[in-house]
Amino acid sequence: MLQHAGQPARCLVRPGDKVQEGMLIGKAEGASSANVHSSIPGIVTRVSEVPGADGIASVAALIEFGGEFDRTGKPSAATEWEKLPRAELLGRIRSCGVVGLGGGLLPTHLKLAPGAERRTVFLVANGIECEPSLHADVSLMREKSRQVVAGMRICQRILEATRMVLAISESSREELEPLFREASGKDELEIVALSGRYPQGHEDLVRKAILSRDSLSNGGAAGGGAGTCIILNVATLYAVFEAVVMQRPLIERYVTVTGSAVRRPGVLKVRIGTRLGDLFEECGGLMEPPGKVVVGGPMRGISVASLDFPVTKGVAGVMAFTRAEARPGFALPCIRCGACVEACPWELVPTRLNKLVERGDVTTALAEGLSSCTECGCCAYACPSRIPLVDTLRRGKRLGAVGDHG
Amino acid sequence: MADSTPLTVSPAPHVGGLISSARLNWSLALSLLPASAWGVFLFGFPALQVLAVAAATALVADAAASLAWGRAVLRDGSAAVTGLLIGMLMPPAVPLYVPAAASAFGIIVVKQSFGGLGRNWMNPALGGVVFALFSWADAATRWLPARGTPAGTAAAPLAALRSALAGGAQPTGGVLSALGARGYPWSSLDGRVVSWVNVHVLSAVGLSLPGGVFDLLVGNIPGRIGDVSVPLLMLGAAFLLARRVIRWQVPVAYLASFLVAAQVFGGLPMGRGWFAGAALFQLFCGSVVLGAFFMATDPVTSPLTRGGRVAYGICLGLLTFLLRYFGTPGFGVPLAILLGNCISPLLDKIARPRAASPRKAVVQ
Repeated sequence: MLQHAGQPARCLVRPGDKVQEGMLIGKAEGASSANVHSSIPGIVTRVSEVPGADGIASVAALIEFGGEFDRTGKPSAATEWEKLPRAELLGRIRSCGVVGLGGGLLPTHLKLAPGAERRTVFLVANGIECEPSLHADVSLMREKSRQVVAGMRICQRILEATRMVLAISESSREELEPLFREASGKDELEIVALSGRYPQGHEDLVRKAILSRDSLSNGGAAGGGAGTCIILNVATLYAVFEAVVMQRPLIERYVTVTGSAVRRPGVLKVRIGTRLGDLFEECGGLMEPPGKVVVGGPMRGISVASLDFPVTKGVAGVMAFTRAEARPGFALPCIRCGACVEACPWELVPTRLNKLVERGDVTTALAEGLSSCTECGCCAYACPSRIPLVDTLRRGKRLGAVGDHG
Repeated sequence: MADSTPLTVSPAPHVGGLISSARLNWSLALSLLPASAWGVFLFGFPALQVLAVAAATALVADAAASLAWGRAVLRDGSAAVTGLLIGMLMPPAVPLYVPAAASAFGIIVVKQSFGGLGRNWMNPALGGVVFALFSWADAATRWLPARGTPAGTAAAPLAALRSALAGGAQPTGGVLSALGARGYPWSSLDGRVVSWVNVHVLSAVGLSLPGGVFDLLVGNIPGRIGDVSVPLLMLGAAFLLARRVIRWQVPVAYLASFLVAAQVFGGLPMGRGWFAGAALFQLFCGSVVLGAFFMATDPVTSPLTRGGRVAYGICLGLLTFLLRYFGTPGFGVPLAILLGNCISPLLDKIARPRAASPRKAVVQ
């Protein structure tokens, strides 16, 4: 019931209940929350509190498959959304449980809700993978370019956005640009190719890149400075299309299945709630017992203790590493080489923040920008001494948050 | 699927560590080998002995001190690099207890007593060398003659120039002419090469080179074991830069500020006026190239940030110039870098990048 940023949804089912595909089983509660739907038809066998991959427990319903898929495989009539009022569009997005699928997991209706004062709004579709070695977004764009563009038009209408921008990585430009040119028809869609180098896919970095690019080409006057960018992941836009046009709730998503222990890595369309182990089976199984299984990508993903964890809305990839790769590293003393400083996209000095947090001086660390850390993992990746910088900084951020409240 | 093996659970990122500290240190050691080998070729067996004693003492001292302080004995190669650098900074005919004392002091006092790898505020190699050569001052000038020069009293070109100037020489044609006029012994090969170039190439344009150019260029001069061959040091430095073991900011800032200062002000003490210093001569003698690429770049004792590194390099260049002209003979580079070590934390503090906060930046 917690697959989004905010409060968990309230579970509506009890053991023994019969559910249908796409039925509402969790109702959004509170200011920031999202609906949850059953991804398969069947009988609820158990409702209990289970830990998520991130360690935060929430209520989950175990559903045993049974009965018929009454939506899948049957054409549903496309609605002519252009005639619907904006409130209805937003309502459909909310009731279908659409959340930011790039990793932020913010309920999408909140992101699209009318803000106070907006002058120039850019709607940016983020088609840059959130992590290296994942390609779920590119696969989606390859297969569903029309639907993604339709999702953009819907959001454009809701936001009254003046411009629509699609940000893709340089490496996928050649393949995707013609598809989207065709899908968008007219010239209103701007396609911007950015470096695909991690962590470029991060929302703030995409925004920074688009705005600085814009202020360069416009001489800083016309749009750039005054603009607001609303950035939505392409998978989210696809979910918006499904919700508004097809009235289908968010019950499936594209997931990259990869890692060196996987026999046939690839991208799968997965129903939310599927066991991780089943994803690997679908990809030819594992070549050896895995040493580590990660939900998410190699840089920010969370390692899990069991293959029984379910795929949730935020899972863009799952990875299985061999035992040799999973061996824990041995941290050496910091030699102040500065590799972490060069790697940090937010221009922090990670080794210094690390020392401050270890010393217990979170206040100074916060003053030096600790809260800007997005835990992208670049510093720890670059560190020749293999110091677990991200882990310490994350701890520091938590300590800082606790200090704020108490 | 049966979960027969427990899965490792650890914090992200789950990949990385492609470049290890050990690999950085062994690359550094490898890059120093050509210049060390040249020193051995030039000065013979004594030089090899000095290098071996310095490196061996450093390794033993590091292991012993780590054990004594209850730390893990690291096999990351950092002690080997310290020992090799100490050997390279020794004059070839130095008594063997001097490099041994330098290595022991550098490792035990400068490095381990401050907490071991990464915690020393002073470069261990330079600390050890300065300690030993100040303690046995006469050992600091135990030069050996270069190849093809007469045996007997050999003096490094900088020291010879200093004594020539102290003797009241007024160099009119340039530093090399001044040295030549005092009968500085260049090699016979140098004489042949320079006169051939003068006759066959430069006579056409009405120029001529003074004796010593060839010897200086290839490093066939008396000097410290590892600092004589500038081309081979540059080769090692290029390797390190290409492998991103060292970054360009410190050496470029260091050499540029040193060369500018030497060219602009270097002529003044010799009574030759502004802009008349022999910057290139200064580059090819003494340890400035060795220092700029291999010791000033020591990550532990230099600033972390790019801006700090550039400022650090500039400070080192200016300090080296001042100490070379006005300081203790033979200690310009080592003392400049040690002084730089002292201000490195300060530079880091001044040049720390302002943490970008893009979230705030876009909120209107």
